[in-house]
Amino acid sequence: MSESQLIQQAVEGDARAVRALYDRYAPRVYAVVRRIAGDDELAQDYAQEAWIRAIRALPSFRGDARFSTWLHRIAVNAALQAIRKAETRRKHEAPSPEQVPVEPKAGDALLQRRLEVALDRLPEGMRRVIILHDVEGYTHDEIGDVLGVAPGTSKSQLFKARAKMREMLSALDVTEQDHGVEVWGT
Amino acid sequence: MGHLNPEILARLVDQTPEPEEADHLALCEACTTELEALRAQTAELGSLPELLPPQGDWRVLEARLRSEGLIRDPGLFARLGLAETPGWMRVAAAIVLFLGGTAFGAALTSRGASARLASLEGDPTPVATPVSQEVAEDHLQQAEQSYVSALAQYREVMADRGTGAATADPRNRFAALEYLVAASQAAVRQAPTDPFLNGLLASTLAEREATLRRISTQQDNWF
Repeated sequence: MSESQLIQQAVEGDARAVRALYDRYAPRVYAVVRRIAGDDELAQDYAQEAWIRAIRALPSFRGDARFSTWLHRIAVNAALQAIRKAETRRKHEAPSPEQVPVEPKAGDALLQRRLEVALDRLPEGMRRVIILHDVEGYTHDEIGDVLGVAPGTSKSQLFKARAKMREMLSALDVTEQDHGVEVWGT
Repeated sequence: MGHLNPEILARLVDQTPEPEEADHLALCEACTTELEALRAQTAELGSLPELLPPQGDWRVLEARLRSEGLIRDPGLFARLGLAETPGWMRVAAAIVLFLGGTAFGAALTSRGASARLASLEGDPTPVATPVSQEVAEDHLQQAEQSYVSALAQYREVMADRGTGAATADPRNRFAALEYLVAASQAAVRQAPTDPFLNGLLASTLAEREATLRRISTQQDNWF
């Protein structure tokens, strides 16, 4: 069944069609909200909220953009809005790397795990920008729209975030060297 | 000139260096190495994998979607093929006729023989006189199956004639569904315990809600 047929059936409320869309895009939705949230428990809530919003808005999807792009934008907005709402209640403790359910390519697991840990530990403003730019491929103009900041601010946050990431990853290397763990050479 | 600071190096990951920065990089191995490390880091970030949602995520989501009425199982309505049937008003009319007969038959099977006979008096509908409740239910089931089969054939014929345009406008669909809901409700009132009629009513109501939602959304701004 084509994606447009699936979408049409999902618009009609067909549970099987919605499930098929979920199966197809849940990892992408979960990945972006997980990285923005920096927390597993919050990420699940945000992902659920993103899906609810998307299914509600589905009849308005006209196909001007790809469905994946449309859904991705809804997921990003849902996560960002949820964070703003929950800012005061937000948990700041970073999860242990083992809590991140990643499906990496063999051989890249250690590096990817370190990147995920470092992303989680970034200050929130920096994390949002580096995720949207370096992970998700947004432009600074798009980030400005989504976050409500000037493109120049987005750039400045990005450069700080990259530098901070580099610093944290170097520190992780040193820590793991001290504990006899394999080191990611740069 | 001292070493380039980390934020400048981070900028140079994807921006062209100023002439003096380029001059420095040409001479400074430490800064060049650091810039390469930042570029590698950025490339790796761009290829991070998707993440699997936690186990059971769909079940939680499904419960929420159901509670908001955003999804439903393909009920009797869809199984009958009504969701895609063209020529809505004609189908609605056919169903109303059918419901009249079925509800009447169901009512007969759930009442006593005397009530049944009393109800038959003066009714022009050619309903076969059942000899027992089991036989009557069997007749009813056969009638339902015949109806479903006839409807499937009808859909095929209408599809061949290319008369699907009527379904394109959700307002037409909604109008027909209103008609069907009223007829189904009347049928269920006559035979409140009949599973087929209740299933059809529930499916029709759900379909009407979905169509109404579609109309409301179309009236809002497009995303």
